[in-house]
Amino acid sequence: MPMQFDQRSPVYLQVIRWFKERIATEELERGQEIPSRREIAAQLGINPNTAQKAYKEMEEQHLITTERNVPSKITTDPEIVSKVRTELLNEAVEQFVHSIQAIQVPLEEVVTKIEHLYETKERGKIDA
Amino acid sequence: MLEVHGLKKRFGRKRPVLNGVSFSIKPDTLTCLIGLNGEGKSTILKGIVGLIPMDAGSIIVDGTTSREKIAFVPDVQTMPSYMTIGDALTYMNDYYSDWNEQTADELMATFKLLSTDKINELSKGNQAKVNLLLGFALDRPYLLLDEPFAGIDLFTKEQIAWIFSSHYMEGRGILMTTHEIVEVEHLIDRVIFLQDGQIIDEHDTEEMREIHGKSVQDRMREVYQR
Repeated sequence: MPMQFDQRSPVYLQVIRWFKERIATEELERGQEIPSRREIAAQLGINPNTAQKAYKEMEEQHLITTERNVPSKITTDPEIVSKVRTELLNEAVEQFVHSIQAIQVPLEEVVTKIEHLYETKERGKIDA
Repeated sequence: MLEVHGLKKRFGRKRPVLNGVSFSIKPDTLTCLIGLNGEGKSTILKGIVGLIPMDAGSIIVDGTTSREKIAFVPDVQTMPSYMTIGDALTYMNDYYSDWNEQTADELMATFKLLSTDKINELSKGNQAKVNLLLGFALDRPYLLLDEPFAGIDLFTKEQIAWIFSSHYMEGRGILMTTHEIVEVEHLIDRVIFLQDGQIIDEHDTEEMREIHGKSVQDRMREVYQR
C-alpha cells in the first residue's frame, strides 16, 4: 500500500516517522528484520534514493542496525524504543496543547473531555 | 553524467525557443523539467537525442559525444500501428543490441499487457505503458521521458509512477517532462524550471521541502505567476 505524502515536508523524514510509529507500538519488534532499501521503496512507493537516505538517517539515530551482507534490523535497545515513544508522545501533546490554547479552553474541561473521548474510543476498539 | 551545454534553438524567424540551456543529469536520479506550454521542454529532449538539430550547444555523455547511451521515450506512439505489442518487442530485440528481453517480459507482466494486442487499438493508458516499457527495456544509463502521464487517468498514472520506486531506476539518470506534477512530486530528485528559453530555477526537491517547506507545485506557482 503506497504511503500518502505531505508534499511540503521531506519524504525521507516521513518515512522515518512511519518507522518510528511502528517501533513505538512494537508492530516492528526489537531485533526484527526489515525490508531492504529496494523493497521498502517499492512497498511505500518512494524513490530508491529516498529509501537510502531514510535508512542512513535511521542508522545514525540507532533506530536500525545494518551489518554487511545481512538485512537491516530494528534496534534491540529497549531504551531507544522508549525514547521514540516519548518523542512521539511529546510531539502529539505539544501539537494538541497548541491548538487547545488557541481556542482558550480551561485545562480541567479539556482533561475531562479527553478522558471521556479516550474511553469511548477504547470501548469502540473492543466492540469492533 | 549527461551534460547539456548552452543549447540554442530558433525555429524560422520567431524568437528563440532555447536561449542557452545548460544542466546535467546524474546517474541514479530522477530530474523533472518543468515549463509552461511552448517553453521548449520537448525541444530540449529531442535536441539531446539528436532528433532536432540545435543551432548551438553540445551534449556530453560520460565524457564522450556519443549518444548511444541515451534512450528516448516520446509522448506519441512511434511503432507502426499495424503491429501487435509482440511484434514491436520482436522488432526491438532484432534491431537493438542493448535490448533486455528479461526486463521487457517483466514489465509486460507488471503492466498486464498482452502481446497479441494491436498497438493502435490500445487505450491511452496502455499505449503509455508500452512506450515506457520500450524505453526501460533498453539497457541504457540515461532515459528521457516526454510527458509520460499526458492524458492518463489517475490509477494508470499510479501504476506507471510505480516504476520510479522500483529497481528499474538503479543505475539510471532519468530526465522527464511533465505537467502532471502533483501525483509524482514525492518521487522526483531534482526539478528544473524553464522560462523564455532559459533555466530560471533549479532545486533538489528534498532540500526544497526541508529548507523552504515548499512543494514543487508551490514553487511552480511562485515561478510562473509572478
